[in-house]
Amino acid sequence: MAGASVKVAVRVRPFNSREIGKESKCIIQMSGNTTTIINPKQAKDNKSFNFDYSYWSHTSPEDINFASQLQVYKDIGEEMLLHAFEGYNVCIFAYGQTGAGKSYTMMGKQDVKDQQGIIPLLCEDLFTKFNDNADNSMSYSVEVSYMEIYCERVRDLLNPKNKGNLRVREHPLMGPYVEDLSKLAVTAYNDIQDLMDSGNKARTVAATNMNETSSRSHAVFNIIFTQKRYDAETDNTSEKVSKISLVDLAGSERADSTGAKGTRLKEGANINKSLTTLGKVISALAEKVESFIPYRDSVLTWLLRENLGGNSRTAMVAALSPADINYDETLSTLRPKCCVVHLCGLHQNKKCQALAKHTMFVSGISTLSVLFFLWYLMTKIKYRTSSPDLSLKLINYHCILKCQETEKIIAELNETWEEKLRRTEAIRMEREALLAEMGVAMREDGGTVGVFSPKKTPHLVNLNEDPLMSECLLYYIKDGITRLDTDIVLSGHFIKDEHCTFTSSTGPMGESERPLSCSTGLQFRTSVFNIDRQEVKPPNSLCFP
Amino acid sequence: MASVSSDEWRTVCDKFTNAQNLTVVESRNDPENDPFRSKYKARELLREIHCSLKSFEAGEGEAERGGEEIGDQRPIEPPVDGQLEDGFGQGFSGDSPAGLRAAKLGAVEYYLGVNHVDTEELSAGQEHLMNCMKLLERCRVSSENVSLFIHVRNQLGILWAGRDETETAQGFLETAESIYQRYIKEDGSPPTDMAEYFTTEEKLLTHQERTKRFELAYTHTMYYLAQVYKNLGETERAATYCHSTLQRQLQLNQYSPMEWALNAATLSQYYITKGRYMEGRHCLSAATVISGLAGEVPSEAAAQESETESERREQLMQKRAEIARCWIKYCLNVLQDSKKLLEDSIGELDTDRQEELKRARRREEEEEEKGRKSALLFGSEDTFDSIVSLEEKVRCLLPLDFAEARAVFLVGQNYVTQAKEYFQMDGYVTDHIEILQDHSALFRALAFFEEDLERRCKMHKRRVDMLEPICNDLNSRYYLMIRRQMMFELAEIYNEMMDLKLTLANRQADTQSLDNHTIKKFNHLCSASAKYFQMFLDSLCSPEGKIPEHLEEEVLRPALVARFRLARLHSRLISSSPSVQLENLDKSLENYKYVVQYCEAHPEAKATVETELELSTEMVGLLPLKINRLKAKMTANN
Repeated sequence: MAGASVKVAVRVRPFNSREIGKESKCIIQMSGNTTTIINPKQAKDNKSFNFDYSYWSHTSPEDINFASQLQVYKDIGEEMLLHAFEGYNVCIFAYGQTGAGKSYTMMGKQDVKDQQGIIPLLCEDLFTKFNDNADNSMSYSVEVSYMEIYCERVRDLLNPKNKGNLRVREHPLMGPYVEDLSKLAVTAYNDIQDLMDSGNKARTVAATNMNETSSRSHAVFNIIFTQKRYDAETDNTSEKVSKISLVDLAGSERADSTGAKGTRLKEGANINKSLTTLGKVISALAEKVESFIPYRDSVLTWLLRENLGGNSRTAMVAALSPADINYDETLSTLRPKCCVVHLCGLHQNKKCQALAKHTMFVSGISTLSVLFFLWYLMTKIKYRTSSPDLSLKLINYHCILKCQETEKIIAELNETWEEKLRRTEAIRMEREALLAEMGVAMREDGGTVGVFSPKKTPHLVNLNEDPLMSECLLYYIKDGITRLDTDIVLSGHFIKDEHCTFTSSTGPMGESERPLSCSTGLQFRTSVFNIDRQEVKPPNSLCFP
Repeated sequence: MASVSSDEWRTVCDKFTNAQNLTVVESRNDPENDPFRSKYKARELLREIHCSLKSFEAGEGEAERGGEEIGDQRPIEPPVDGQLEDGFGQGFSGDSPAGLRAAKLGAVEYYLGVNHVDTEELSAGQEHLMNCMKLLERCRVSSENVSLFIHVRNQLGILWAGRDETETAQGFLETAESIYQRYIKEDGSPPTDMAEYFTTEEKLLTHQERTKRFELAYTHTMYYLAQVYKNLGETERAATYCHSTLQRQLQLNQYSPMEWALNAATLSQYYITKGRYMEGRHCLSAATVISGLAGEVPSEAAAQESETESERREQLMQKRAEIARCWIKYCLNVLQDSKKLLEDSIGELDTDRQEELKRARRREEEEEEKGRKSALLFGSEDTFDSIVSLEEKVRCLLPLDFAEARAVFLVGQNYVTQAKEYFQMDGYVTDHIEILQDHSALFRALAFFEEDLERRCKMHKRRVDMLEPICNDLNSRYYLMIRRQMMFELAEIYNEMMDLKLTLANRQADTQSLDNHTIKKFNHLCSASAKYFQMFLDSLCSPEGKIPEHLEEEVLRPALVARFRLARLHSRLISSSPSVQLENLDKSLENYKYVVQYCEAHPEAKATVETELELSTEMVGLLPLKINRLKAKMTANN
């Protein structure tokens, strides 16, 4: 049954402090699988949508209807992990307005028990399952990759050497893939956590330097695991490869709220001002039967095609803000979801298909169009198939390979597990060296994970609207003078040469008091640097006990 | 009004330059949390300019009082913009002091309007734009103000379209269109740009620059009208306006070659699906010629040296390959349309029809000539000839015999080769296969025109050769849909070849009996076809191999047709052994039964396979008789 291959959930979070401050009203109601949204301007105007799961996380755990992180994981994560073990391609999308709780659902709070999100719980479970397996004939290996798609460019978040734009390609046997994207071998859950964390750091560094906003980029974390079964009788090893993709989609809010910057094709009757959108207008005229429209699909949809066709299982989690001020965005988050349910459940919805058709060639950063495209694909590809024995086929194919690209893939395939681990280690060192060069602090064991607030050393920490990116870069201020240009490397529109210096010295009270001074005003646009959360104005000195 | 050289005037000019700079340049760097910072600053400056203009006016005393009403809070009248005669009939002449004053004030209102619209304050924006309209109402269209006449209507068009009032938008834009046309006809001198109202003498624009800006404004009018017509569902008109937009970009040299070429190629796809091959071919020829202006593809060596060169190489190659793919579709559609026109009820060439069409051809050729003269043609002086010579390489009239069809086929095949050079199997699986499928379809259409059955069969063999290895090598985990398409196509090709072989054998042999070699060949083709139909059906099963109880809409017909064809193929296999015959007939019956039973269980499926169902029902009734007779014969023989 086609509907079974896609699960859709919505989840509503509690009010945040801003919403409480504005005395917001909750406009979301949930009952069973149904979610209802009330128009704050017209109370009678309410709309209901059906989903596979509707999670009420607006209140606290005391509420019997409250959906905890664990419950979300049990419904969605566990099922998806099971499918991955069966050999399906698995994909979990998080979708919604920035700040609606996407990251909390996917990642959660790392260090707090009961607050971990789907991704850490799933990874933990994955390794628990490996370790629990008493069957000696089975062996497992796991590799991960982490990339970011910003303005149609793919960036490798795990390998700092891999700069610039990676190309997305298709291989006849391996399916769509990103050329040169590093796949790192991992042996334990901690490795994954470390890699994800340093990937997030790379993402934050890039976002800060390039003056970009994380909410405009998609992040894709892939876990590829291979189950090998050795058959002693026939002396044969069979392999089953599964892939889990965890996708944090860009915020769904209107991409052009900042004015006429975007050249996105607007939906509806709007007129596009700029002639640069002429191609999109023309392509909407031609019928797609027996014609070729020379506009490429967006990178993300191209890459995730395999996650929607054939052998795959997909879950989508829409994060909702409960507040009346977000009515429009929340409604639009709910709406396309409704289409999916509709499409998968009833098999046809002409209007939706037309919509999908209309938007399918829109590339760029419009999340909505990406989603429409995904649904468009789902209406076309809803079938699963048995997976052929990949390794066997490869051997046949090996003889006829000439292309350089393919050789690269083969080399990768032939690389032994030990070599992979060594390469992973090498890339880790490079990555850390690069971060260290920029002044980002390391834990003593070299790990970069999480916030390990050093109690005694003054330091700078970045803040970001996106909780995933907040406090993930740490810069030490050493004794004496620390310069914000050579010791701590930041670049960006608002960072000047020799931006400022910090002086840390022993105060009159001895070691117990360390005044810290800062030469010039710190001006950051996206990330505000605070000293102990107090704004620093020049010249200023703070006592740092 | 303050004299153009006075200091006060200079201040106004500086403010204006500042405001423009804020709007166009600075606003790009506005922070996320304060996205309209620069625009708000610009708005303040514009307001100050507005005040200054007013005070100049008051200071001069003798000025007409007219301008002052503008600031009044008069309710906005319903936006009607149909009385285009007004602009040319009465009112101040454009170069009179009153006319100039109105134009200047109007321009400030215009910039304020755009500013409000940009900052999402639509009704305030509308008010300013309508103020501008009212000021202009009193003026005659002239070279001093015509640019503003067009611009303000463009903006109002966008504004109303955004409110889903497409007809209102259409009114404004169509008036802009007719004002432009009338101005060009009656005056035509390079008009003043609105920005020039607020520049000092020495910074006035050249005639060339004036024309460029004015024409660009009108190009936008065309483009907005295209979108309005598209939203109104008038696709044909929308296409014409897209065409005009492209034509103007080319004429005025305001385009980037690759982008333009790709847009023209896309437009060709609209025309070819509408059967307008002359226009389609023209767009494609222009696309190819203009894409050539984007420069040479950097060499592989250069690409390895620098990343920008490598990206440029990639872009140029990809886009040229995409234009080639548009050409393939052109050739394919021409051939297929012609086939549709010429085939009889069983899909063979209708020679009577062919003769009739050939007789009508002369008239058609004349019409083509006439059509070309009236059509919107692309091209600047230096590209026009190359476009025409490219057009001459392939006809836009539907081919009527093999020779003509072959000419179109060869052009298409040439583009297949070009497109495949970039879209190689390694790296572009889906694209590569789509091109192969087109190539196969080109062969299929050409085979229709081929009278020699032996050669026709060879063409089908070529199709098999290009599709079969790929269909079998492709990983179905990632390419399920495309494999299914290929399986179905292969099954049909083998079926076709089988029929051809049979016809050939029957022609050669007078008797009904076939020689052993032919039987072997026939059975081979028959089972190959059955194999691919079966593969297609198997691909619909679950991993455990279960046949789905319910067929999805988009595979419903293919799946039932595959069953039906499979049934026929099994019953046609030739065997001398009665037990094999019996086995084949059983399989045949089983498949016919499936079609009948599925339609009984899912009545909604009946409509999709009417003919097949009718025949299947009949066969389900008849085949058991045949089977029983065969069984009886077998027992008798034993």
